[in-house]
Amino acid sequence: MNRTTRHDAGRRAFLRRGAGLAAGALAGAAGLPVMLGSRHAHAADYKALVCVFQYGGSDGMNMIVPTDTTRHGQYAAVRGGLALPRASLVGLAGSQFGLHPAMAALQPFWTAGQLAPVFNLGPLNRPLTKAQYLAADAGSAIVPQALFSHSDQQKQWESAASDSLSRTGWGGRACEVLATTNPTISVGGNGLFGVEALRSPLVLPGPGSGFGAYGLMPDDLGWEPNRLRKAAVDALYAETPGGILGGAFASQQRVAFEMSDRLSGIVGSTPGDAMSVPEIDAAFAPLIQDGYIYSWFGQQMYQVAKLIAYNATVQGSRQVFFANQGGYDTHSGQAWGDATTGPHADLLGELADGLAAFQQAMNNLGLGASVTTFTEADFGRTFAPNETSGTDHAWGNNHLVLGGAVHGGATYGTYPTLVLGGPDDVGVESWELQGRWIPTSSVDQYAATMLAWFGASPAQLDAILPNLANFGSARSLGFL
Amino acid sequence: MTRSTGTDRRLPPAARRPMGGAAAALALAVVLAGCSGDGEDRQAAQSAGRKQALTASPAQTAAIGAPGASLLAMPAAVRRDATRLAQQASFGPSEALVNEIRSQTSATWVAGQMALDLSRYSSGGGDAIHRNTSETDFCSQPQFASPNCWRDWYSTEPLSWDFYRNAVSQPDQLRQRVAFALQQILVISGHEVSGTYGFRHYYNNLLALAFGNYRDVLRKVVLSPVMGEYLDHVNNDKFYPNENFGRELLQLFSLGTCLLTPDGRLQGGSCQPTYDNATVRNYAFALTGWTYPPGGATPWGCWPEGANCPLFGADMVAAPALRDANARTLLSGVTVAANRTAPQALESVLDSLMRHPNIAPFVGRLLIQNLVSSNPSPEYVGRVAAAFESGRYRSGIKRFGTGTKGDLAATVAAVLLDAEARADLPHGGFLREPVLLFTGALRALGGATDGAPLGWWWGETLRQHVFNPPSVFNFYPPDYPLAGTALVGPQFAIHNANTALERFNFLTYLFDWNGSDPDPNIPNAVGTRVNLDAFAGIAGTPSTLVDHVSVLALGKTLPATPRQRVIDAVAYWNSSNASSDWKRRRTATAAYLVLASPDYMVQR
Repeated sequence: MNRTTRHDAGRRAFLRRGAGLAAGALAGAAGLPVMLGSRHAHAADYKALVCVFQYGGSDGMNMIVPTDTTRHGQYAAVRGGLALPRASLVGLAGSQFGLHPAMAALQPFWTAGQLAPVFNLGPLNRPLTKAQYLAADAGSAIVPQALFSHSDQQKQWESAASDSLSRTGWGGRACEVLATTNPTISVGGNGLFGVEALRSPLVLPGPGSGFGAYGLMPDDLGWEPNRLRKAAVDALYAETPGGILGGAFASQQRVAFEMSDRLSGIVGSTPGDAMSVPEIDAAFAPLIQDGYIYSWFGQQMYQVAKLIAYNATVQGSRQVFFANQGGYDTHSGQAWGDATTGPHADLLGELADGLAAFQQAMNNLGLGASVTTFTEADFGRTFAPNETSGTDHAWGNNHLVLGGAVHGGATYGTYPTLVLGGPDDVGVESWELQGRWIPTSSVDQYAATMLAWFGASPAQLDAILPNLANFGSARSLGFL
Repeated sequence: MTRSTGTDRRLPPAARRPMGGAAAALALAVVLAGCSGDGEDRQAAQSAGRKQALTASPAQTAAIGAPGASLLAMPAAVRRDATRLAQQASFGPSEALVNEIRSQTSATWVAGQMALDLSRYSSGGGDAIHRNTSETDFCSQPQFASPNCWRDWYSTEPLSWDFYRNAVSQPDQLRQRVAFALQQILVISGHEVSGTYGFRHYYNNLLALAFGNYRDVLRKVVLSPVMGEYLDHVNNDKFYPNENFGRELLQLFSLGTCLLTPDGRLQGGSCQPTYDNATVRNYAFALTGWTYPPGGATPWGCWPEGANCPLFGADMVAAPALRDANARTLLSGVTVAANRTAPQALESVLDSLMRHPNIAPFVGRLLIQNLVSSNPSPEYVGRVAAAFESGRYRSGIKRFGTGTKGDLAATVAAVLLDAEARADLPHGGFLREPVLLFTGALRALGGATDGAPLGWWWGETLRQHVFNPPSVFNFYPPDYPLAGTALVGPQFAIHNANTALERFNFLTYLFDWNGSDPDPNIPNAVGTRVNLDAFAGIAGTPSTLVDHVSVLALGKTLPATPRQRVIDAVAYWNSSNASSDWKRRRTATAAYLVLASPDYMVQR
C-alpha cells in the first residue's frame, strides 16, 4: 500500500476503533482530524515507564563527571587522555557534577527538576562489600554470574536477577503482576526486558513503516480475492499445530494481526502527516529534517511519544516501553582530541537529544509527570583506560532517570571512591587495577523505586523482584 | 518497466517498490550467461528478457508431469521423513531432492552429501584495497571509483550474492548448511570490519572445513585477520593485551560460561563458571604475537613496529616483537611454558579447548539447534556430544568420522540421523529463520536468484542480513525464552508482530509481485523469482494444485478445514476474471498460503 492509502486506511481505522472517541468525529478545515480531544484522552492516572538500554555497556564515568577540583583531579589523573576537561562539562547546578558536553540538551531538564543521575548501579544478589566479593567461592550465588560478559549482564539488567537463567524480564513481570492491558511495547527489538511467562513484548517498527500484511489489512478485505486469502490464513492459524513452537508462533501471528489492525496508522505516522501530533513534532523539531528523523534512537522515542499520545487507541492505564541504543562497547578509540568528541560523544549526544525531545513532547502534552524514562546498560566500563584509548568491561555504572515526577535536580546513589584498587574496585592484583566498581545500589532497588511510583504495592514489588528482599528496608533509592 | 496494476488493488503501485529494484533496462537472456543487449531495441529486450525470466527455471531440470506428483504418490510417512531431512540438511526441499533422499537410506544420502565439495564464494574485489600506497582513498582513485566501489571491495554484499545463488542451486546443500551453522557460532560481521576479500577467505574456509575437524576450524578462526580485527586480537599488545577475543573464544566459540555435563546440562544444576577473569587474561596473553600476513601496504608504513600492514587474504603470521614471553596457565591442565612462540602457544590453546569436557556438548547442542531443533532432549545432546568426543558415528553399515575428537562429519551425522531428529515430536523443530524462508520458498517453486534483494532489503526487514549480524552474539541467542512455553526459540528473538507480517509480505513480493527483475548493477544478475508456470498443468484443478504445493513444501497435505479455505481462495481465479494469467494467480495463491502456514514457518 502506498503512503497515501496507508495513511487514509490508518485514519479510517482509527475512526472506527478509537476507544473513548465521541461518535462522529469530523475532519477539520485543514484536513487534520478534529480529534485532539480524543488524542489526549488518557486513562485516568495514566503512567508509563520507558527503559532505554545502552547496548554494549556505556562508559558512565564519562557521562557524568565530578566538577569539584579535588575529585576532578583524581578523575583526570586516572582517565588520562579520556578525561573530559572540567570547563567542558555541562553544569548540573547545585550538584558537584556535570554531564558530558555532548549532553547539553538535557541541562534544561535538570534546571526544571526533571533529571536525576543515579550512581554506581548494577546487578547484585545482595549488598556486597569488596571483602565479601573476594572471599566468595567461584560460582557462589552472592556474586552475580558471569560478570563482564555482555550477554549475561544484559540479561541480568533486563531481568533484575543475579544469574542468567531468568526467562522473563522485570518489565515483563511488572506487566504480569500489575495485569496491564498490553505487554511491554518495544520499539527497539526483542529484549528480554519485556518478556513475560505467557506474553511476548509487542515489538513495533519505526515511523513510516507499514506494519501490516499486504492484502490482509481490514481495508483490503472488500476485494474478494483478499477476503478469501484472509479467511484461509485465519483457518490455517486457528488450527492447533502439532508442535509447541508452532502453537506459540500461531498465537503470536494472531496477535500480530490484531495489533496491526489497531495500531498501524499510529505506527506508520511520520512528522507532519495526517496522524502526527503537533505537540510531539514541535518537541522533535531539532531532530527532524525534511519530515524525516535521521537518528534511529530519535525515531524510537518518537514512536513511544505517539503511542503515549494515542493512549485512547493503544489502551491501558499502565504501559511499559523499551527502546535501545547500541554501539557502546568502546574498547578502542572511545574519544578523540581533548576527549570531548569521538564515538562515545556521538552516542551520548544522540541519546541526550532523543531523551530531551521526548521529555519535551511529554511536557507539551501535559503528561510530563506521567512518564518516567530511565537508562540501563550491560555494565559500566573500566575507570582506567586501556592501551587503545578505550575502556573495557566493568560492573557498576551511572544512569539517568528523567520525568516530571522524578525528584530531579539532585543526584542519587553513592559515587565511587576514585582510587584504583580502592574500596569500590574489584581489583586486587597489580594487573587488575582498572577501576571496576562493585555496585552500591542494585538493579532491584532501581526498579523498585520506579515500580512503586508506577503503582506496585510492596507485595507486588517482591513478586516482580525476587532479590529485592535481600536489600532489607532499602527498597527505594529516593529519586521518585 | 511497470507491472500492470489495473484495478488490482492488491498489487501496490510501482512507487512502493524500493530503490534499485526497478531496472531501467533488462539484459536479454538474463537467465543464461549472456551479455547485456547494448545494441538491442530496449522494448524488445525488456519484454523478451522478462518473458524468459518468467518461464525459465535454471535451478531445476523440467519436471516430468506436475511438480509434486511423485511426492503425492509416496507413502505418507516416507514422504514426511524425506521432506524433514531435506528441511534439516538443505536450504529447502524440492521434488528432485526429496526423491533423491528417499531413493537411498538417510545415512547413505548424508554420506554422499559430505563427499560433495562445490560451493565457494568468488564475487567481489581483491586485496588491492590493502596494497594502496597512494594517499588517495581507494574508492577515490580513478581506476576504482564507481558508485559500487564500496559495495564491491569493502562490503559483504558480493558474498551474499554467492551465498544465495549457491544455496538455491548448488547440490552440496549439507556442506553449505553446516558452514552456515558454523558462521552463526564463529561470528564475524560486516558491521564492524570491511574488506570483501577477507570475508570471502573466512567463509570459504568454513565451507572447506565443514566436515573436517573442529580444532582445524578453530585454528582458522584464531588466525583469521578479519576475526583479528573484529575482536581486537591482531597485533595484540604483549603488555596489556585486549581481552575481547580471549573472552569470546571461550564463551561463544568453544566452551560457554558454565560447566556442562556430557549431555549439555549445567553441572550441579546451577552455573559453575567454566573460567574466571584471570583465565580470560591468560588466554589473551597466550594469543599475543600475531600480525597480518605480509604484503599489505599503506602510504604511512606499518604499525606497530614488528607488525605487518593490514592484509586479509591469508592466515595471520607470527610477530615475535609482540609476543608475551611468560608462562600462562590455561584450562584443562594445559600450560603455555615461558618463551613459547605464537604458533606453539596456539596449539596449546587449542589443546586446552579440545580437551575440555564442555566442548562436545557445547558445540553439539549448537549444531542441533542450527539444523534440527531448538530444544533437543539431554539424551539427544549426549549422543551428539559422544560423536564429537569419539570422532565417530555409525548408522547401520555407514560409518562417519576418523576417530579424532572434534570430527564434524561424525557430529553432523549424529545430529541428522539420531532417532530424535527423525521423529515427529511436540517440542521438536525450530522457527524457520529468514534466510531459510527465502531459500526454501525459491527452491520449492523452482526459483532462481542472484541474491540482490535478500540482503539489504528482505534481510534487513526480517532482521537477518546475512554476513551482518549485529554483534558477535549472532542474530539471536541460543537460549531466547519462548513466552507461553517452557522452551527456547532462538529465532523468536528476531521475530515479533512486525516481522511476523513482513514474512507474509515477502511471500507477496515473491509470488504476487513476481519478485525482482535483474538489477543491471549486479554482475550476472538473474533477478529473484519463482517459476509459477511449472504448475500450469495442474492449476486447472485447485485441490490438486494445493495438495501438490503442500507436499512439496510441507511433506504432507493440509488439515481439512484450512485446506478447503485455501482451495476456495485458489479457485477464485478463472479464465473469465483473469484471462491472461489465471493459472499463475492460482499458483501464486496456493504457494502464498501454504508457505504462510504455521506448518511451514515452523519446520519440524
